[in-house]
Amino acid sequence: MAEEVKKAPRPVDPNSAKYKLGKIAGDAYVNAIEAKKQGKPVAWVSSNFPVEIPETLGIATVYPENQAAGIAARGAGERMCDVAEAEGYSNDICAYARVSLAYAKLKECPEQDVAMPDVLLCCNNICNCMIKWYENLAQELNIPMIILDIPFNPDYEVGQAIIDYVGAQFWDAVHQLEDLFNIKWDDKKFEEVTGFSCRSSKAWLAATGEAHWTPSPFNGFDLLNHMAVMVTARGKEEAAEAMETLLKEYKENHEKGVSTFREEEKYRIMFEGIACWPYLRATSKGLKSRGINMVTTIYADAFGFDYSSFDEMIAAYCSVPNAINLEKARDKRIKLCKDDSVEGLLVHTNRSCKLWSGFMPEMSRQIGEACGIPVASFDGDQADPRNFSEAQYDTRVQGLMEIMEANK
Amino acid sequence: MTSEIMKKFHEVAADPRAQMDKYIAEGKKVVLAAPVYTPEELIHSMGFVPMGVWGADTEIDRAKEYCPAFLCSIVQSILELGIKGAYDGASAIVIPSLCDTLKTLGENWKYAVKDIPFIPMTYPQNRKPEYGIRFTKAGYERVAKDLEAAGGKFDNAALAASNEIYNKHNAAMRKLDEVLAEHAEITAAERSDIYKSAFFMTKEEHTALVEELISEIEKNEKTAAELPVVVSGILTDAPALNEIFDGLGFSIVADDVAAQSRQYRTDVPAGDDAMYALAEKFAAMDNCSVLYNQEKPRVDWIVETAKAREAKGVIIVMTKFCDPEEFDYVMIKKACEKAGIPVTQVEIDRQMTRFEQVRTNLETFKDLLSM
Repeated sequence: MAEEVKKAPRPVDPNSAKYKLGKIAGDAYVNAIEAKKQGKPVAWVSSNFPVEIPETLGIATVYPENQAAGIAARGAGERMCDVAEAEGYSNDICAYARVSLAYAKLKECPEQDVAMPDVLLCCNNICNCMIKWYENLAQELNIPMIILDIPFNPDYEVGQAIIDYVGAQFWDAVHQLEDLFNIKWDDKKFEEVTGFSCRSSKAWLAATGEAHWTPSPFNGFDLLNHMAVMVTARGKEEAAEAMETLLKEYKENHEKGVSTFREEEKYRIMFEGIACWPYLRATSKGLKSRGINMVTTIYADAFGFDYSSFDEMIAAYCSVPNAINLEKARDKRIKLCKDDSVEGLLVHTNRSCKLWSGFMPEMSRQIGEACGIPVASFDGDQADPRNFSEAQYDTRVQGLMEIMEANK
Repeated sequence: MTSEIMKKFHEVAADPRAQMDKYIAEGKKVVLAAPVYTPEELIHSMGFVPMGVWGADTEIDRAKEYCPAFLCSIVQSILELGIKGAYDGASAIVIPSLCDTLKTLGENWKYAVKDIPFIPMTYPQNRKPEYGIRFTKAGYERVAKDLEAAGGKFDNAALAASNEIYNKHNAAMRKLDEVLAEHAEITAAERSDIYKSAFFMTKEEHTALVEELISEIEKNEKTAAELPVVVSGILTDAPALNEIFDGLGFSIVADDVAAQSRQYRTDVPAGDDAMYALAEKFAAMDNCSVLYNQEKPRVDWIVETAKAREAKGVIIVMTKFCDPEEFDYVMIKKACEKAGIPVTQVEIDRQMTRFEQVRTNLETFKDLLSM
């Protein structure tokens, strides 16, 4: 019997966006480890904390959510969750938090090692679970925590009271970090960083917007990888350049009639929720094998940190997906569905995320109605593999496909 | 006399709808106050009767159309009751967004219970600096504006008076907590009724009744508890749970329960601007899983209270799917173990009908404490 020959991965062009973006994401981990060795401060930072602060102050950053996603994608989610659960953490708790708290205890995980932190920078515009997670990290690691509190906004618009509150905290956080590490804020550097952040965001929005073409010039699963750079490095020049390269490539793909979705694009869907990292391959294959391209996700809109004033920057941080009310969240998704000619909505009911999933049934009903598209959901988890069933996923996707076919 | 007062507490706790009907029949308007900290003082000052809504032990059916199964049953049962008309006649519901699940309650409420307007209360977590207090005040102003739309009227002097009424109630409840610690003849079930009824009566009425009860209890000799414990959690009102506490002989000498003593620890300070003073109260609040505290003083509070009240152990009553409490549990457990205080956790749920696992756990805990 012949041995199975594994195909060698295709070499990645070092001038491609994929290479550049992969390198930026990888370098972020390496740079933080190097900074630690040199005795420079390292912060663990929540994903929607204003990057402008650590970037301007020159503090090396690690994003525990990215680390947990990486660990889960490489198959160690359950092992790390087990460690946290043995400490007493309920398996009900967000799996990113469990992976991260396990890492704080073990201080190693070959699937994604990171530099240990000197400070924690917490922003709860993604969820209040983040506060509890970071409180416990601060206790376990005996290091300071700085919280930039961005409450859930029940109103459609961002009011002045919240801008004043968050703006005051922004400078409070800066001053606390200056005092902690004896470093100085530099307005010129801040201006540079905000410039790069806006450039990255503009390019990201434009690149993801290329999905309006039929067929789409890209496979939406690409976004799940590329967004890591938007989370961790959007304030860096190389991130802005890489995002502009991505935009250029997607435009060229369209002109040449090619796509990174390598099947015939028969159906176009929006994928809702955080990726099911432990089953990325299975969730991707279940779509691709049916000619379903996930052309958009809310991430396409999530990193639109394009602003022209301090208050606008604060307002942008108050408008990230999990900080906004149902109507605003719904309208953003309806726009994406309409702009990108979406034919169906596939919702990941993410066991880890009460906030994201907590009003999704009502919101997805409204989106389906407004866009005249079918909605299907499946149960899963962003990092704990025990909460996903491939058979259920397959059945739900098949059902969605059949309705999309009938609607054609 | 004590038994008559207890009977009244029990009747109110067991049938909040009757209370609501009574207030509405008297021509009063009722505003629902969702967990965990709703500015009842403000609602009261604007001419409404605030009534707490912490859900009920009920099967979840209609709320499943809105909520995934892993949201806590307190929130799910509030929505369930709302959909089924249990709160019909209320002028509005105020829902603070202090945890992720409460954020989703407000959003779902708008579509699930259209007849009762949703009024959001947005609190800051950085509540102690001046800018945090200002933001709290802005949140209260928004609530006041929405309450005016529901027929209320804001007045600074009226709020100052309501702040006083609530401070007086806080004082009575704190005194009650001290008295109950020394009177083990009051059962866990009775204790639950006293605290629970506070959500369904005007504070003037409840204060009077509590003060009356305290003076009656104090006429009795102090009775030492055989198995004194501190209980911590969000909610401990399930009759089956209290029956187990009483059946096994546990005496609650202090509680760190969100629906009980956590409500009454902090007073509104004096000040000309009554709404600012109310915001200062929130700034001063601590020791709760939904209030950010980097140092987690709540953990020490539990350990020190257990020592001060000579509790033999700490019982954590975990409301299933309450992640703020689940995070704190690990720290509480470690701190109690370090201090040599036995600790156990039992998990409860609004939909639970079988409490055998809870009973077995607490029986084992009792054996441990009796050794």
